[in-house]
Amino acid sequence: MDCKQALSLMHDYMDNELAPNQVLLLKEHFAVCPACTERYDQLERTEMMLFGIKTQRIEPMADFVTANIMASLPKKTKQRVWLRWVKNHPAITVAAMFVMVMFISALSFWNQDRELMVKGPDLDKLIIEGDKVIVPKGHVVAGDLTVQNGQAEVYGEVNGNLTVIEGSMNLASTAHISGQVTKIDEAMSWLWYRITHMFSGVAYN
Amino acid sequence: MLARKGDQRAFAELVELYKDKIFHLAYRMLNNRHEAEDVVQDTFLRVYKNLERYDENQKFSTWIYRIGTNLCIDRLRKRKPTYSLDAEMNDQEGIDGYAMIPSEDRTPETEYMLSETQQMIRQAIDSLPAKYKTVMVLRYMQELSLQEISDVLDMPVTTIKTRVHRGREFLRKKLERKL
Ligand SMILES: [Zn+2]
Repeated sequence: MDCKQALSLMHDYMDNELAPNQVLLLKEHFAVCPACTERYDQLERTEMMLFGIKTQRIEPMADFVTANIMASLPKKTKQRVWLRWVKNHPAITVAAMFVMVMFISALSFWNQDRELMVKGPDLDKLIIEGDKVIVPKGHVVAGDLTVQNGQAEVYGEVNGNLTVIEGSMNLASTAHISGQVTKIDEAMSWLWYRITHMFSGVAYN
Repeated sequence: MLARKGDQRAFAELVELYKDKIFHLAYRMLNNRHEAEDVVQDTFLRVYKNLERYDENQKFSTWIYRIGTNLCIDRLRKRKPTYSLDAEMNDQEGIDGYAMIPSEDRTPETEYMLSETQQMIRQAIDSLPAKYKTVMVLRYMQELSLQEISDVLDMPVTTIKTRVHRGREFLRKKLERKL
């Protein structure tokens, strides 16, 4: 074995990649070659010094670095979903904007509007007492009746839907309502009601 | 992996788990605290942005090491022109053992802690060309196996072996007087 070969084996040996029979050959070379023995010795000490560096303490990173990492993360999920949504549904997005504007204006309206409002046909046949709206016995309301911010008392008939918004209803045993009876208390459902029904009421004081 | 689902808390745990490893790697590669901290930050940012692309057949540590290592190599390349290890080494070993510690690291504490020998090793490692420095840092300071280094750098094991051998020889010559 020449010294060049021996050097290659030395490195393999240090990498733990030398077969036992080759280890023997290398050791035989060391026995006859002081230069290679010295070289191997130096390599080994170099390696010790390198491993020794690992034990050196490194001042840890400042805590704010970790905080910065978290803070610097892009808020990608929300952003992407929104962008994708706009991209795929431009028309719906416009509709959503419209609903939002509606929602805001309707909400403010809902908060302000505390007056009794009644909507329906033949309103002059109904009895209004304060915030009480009475459908007298024997009277037939020929259509939908809507009462907002008041109490609906029905003794007669409603040939349509009865809707009470932010109020109460009292249906007498004689009452008959052919359509749906709906009570709306929350701003949200009221909003949907307003969007689906166009509302032009008659106000009573 | 939870963090993939964009779970911030899971990602924070990932940061806790790997930040020191990546910081040490970067610090040994760049020999500069501030740059090392920047690398840690950039590494996690990349990990976060590319979570969908992470191949779960691969070890996560391999993947994050690769990202961190590449960021370090990029910085080293920008920093100074590379020179060939094959060329005769310029023996500018002006060992006052001081000049090679970046000035911002020269606190009384580090001066006290680092022996002359340790400073020499640091200087020797720092003078290695990037491709050798990378394998030497991964091998000795992160104690990765040759196979693991090959996975991290996505290079054949034989290439890694050659680089470790050359790196060792380079350092041996550099440190000869101290051995
Ligand atoms: Zn020999």
